[in-house]
Amino acid sequence: MAKILLIEDEKTLRFLIVQTLTQEGFEVEEAVDGEEGIQKLKNNKPDLILLDLVLPGMNGFEVLSKIKKDSELESIPVVILSNLGQEEEIKKGMNLGATDYLIKAHFTLDQIVARIKKFLK
Amino acid sequence: MINQKGAGEGEEDNSSSSPFVDDQEKKEEILTIIDNLADGLMVFNKEGKLSLINPAAQKIFELKKEILGKSIVEFSNFPNLKNLFYLLGKEIKEVFRKELEITKNLILEITSLPLLKEEKKLGSLIILHDITREKIVERMKTEFVSISAHQLRTPLSEIKWTLETLAKEKLGKLTKEQKEILEKAYDSNKRMLILVDDLLDVVKIEEGRRLYKLTFSNLEEVIQSVIESYQEKIKEKQIKFEFRVSSKKLPKIKIDVEKMSLVIQNLLDNAIRYNLPGGMITITLNSTEKEIEFSIEDSGIGIPEDQQQNVFEKFFRGSNAVKMETEGNGLGLFIVKNIIEAHNGKIWFQSKEGKGTTFYFKLPLK
Repeated sequence: MAKILLIEDEKTLRFLIVQTLTQEGFEVEEAVDGEEGIQKLKNNKPDLILLDLVLPGMNGFEVLSKIKKDSELESIPVVILSNLGQEEEIKKGMNLGATDYLIKAHFTLDQIVARIKKFLK
Repeated sequence: MINQKGAGEGEEDNSSSSPFVDDQEKKEEILTIIDNLADGLMVFNKEGKLSLINPAAQKIFELKKEILGKSIVEFSNFPNLKNLFYLLGKEIKEVFRKELEITKNLILEITSLPLLKEEKKLGSLIILHDITREKIVERMKTEFVSISAHQLRTPLSEIKWTLETLAKEKLGKLTKEQKEILEKAYDSNKRMLILVDDLLDVVKIEEGRRLYKLTFSNLEEVIQSVIESYQEKIKEKQIKFEFRVSSKKLPKIKIDVEKMSLVIQNLLDNAIRYNLPGGMITITLNSTEKEIEFSIEDSGIGIPEDQQQNVFEKFFRGSNAVKMETEGNGLGLFIVKNIIEAHNGKIWFQSKEGKGTTFYFKLPLK
């Protein structure tokens, strides 16, 4: 069973994503901000990280670059899941080493699951 | 223009009498003007050495007069002037309004012109125009658009996923009516999300800051891939579809593939949406030596004649189109036109209500 770490500050979004992923048979760990995310990441290494960008405190870009600079963690695929969607933002995320960049508003939950499965194979 | 003394006097004879008492006064007056210009000015003589620099230019580059007499090649030794040298080169080439970032807080627009006197080149004139403030405003606008997009999309995606979760019965069984009404709400919400995307596109187009990633591409392939993504809709409506490409090989053309796909998408989407079941759509692609011409013909509802002049306006929708399809925001063709024009192309159409519409566009090959 694949383990996913979800870093997302919006409670309802978190609930909906967790609900979907759990029903699909994933084990989901939740974090409400970047600091908590990095901490959980170190204690219990996930197979994939779903990362929001606009977060309280450290933003998602900073979280991503921290992960990619850490030799222990850099190999974990990070999928950005955000509603920021300007070209510059997508470029920045991909350049920092994200595996994929999904704009929340453009995807259904089922489509997100399908993407995730692709990266876990 | 320089003459201010003559303002009240006989205006007819300003060609014969000099406004200046002598050459010395003339020279001083011109130098005063140059010294007081808000734009920076630099003049290089025939030997490529700096022969004049006004205070504005000195201030921009934080220079002292000592720079006078130095050649442009020596500029590479001055940190503030390095980039100017890289832009102009040692032969001081002509440029027109080129953006040059000196530091993060200083962005210039550079124009370089040859100084000509009776076709003899006396040197070069460099004009430095400070556009830092415009750039800051542009950056703020980008930020504003980005933030509003985010703020609008966040609650809308929350609604989208909530409705999806409920409608797919992931939180429990629903009656048929409950399911239907959730699906309707889902569709309305989706329309809002599309509207946000379109508004962002409009803002970007109007700002003129659309980032064109121009590459030499094959337009036929771009069209083909859009058609692929519409196969299902075409089948669903039982439309007879044809894509005709002139037999000779089409030249590659410099386009922004992403934006051009958006153009084809919008045109094809309209042709399908406002067509009748069992109707037809024909796309043709031809080229001459100078341009590529595209057309898309449909046998749909057409555009009423009295409304045809408004077709490319923002938020325009034909009265018959609104009756047929409640969905749609009237931004598609507005965006299409802007994209075509940004490629130096032209777009037009012919339409007859009840018979169908053909949209055409032409793109120059150079």
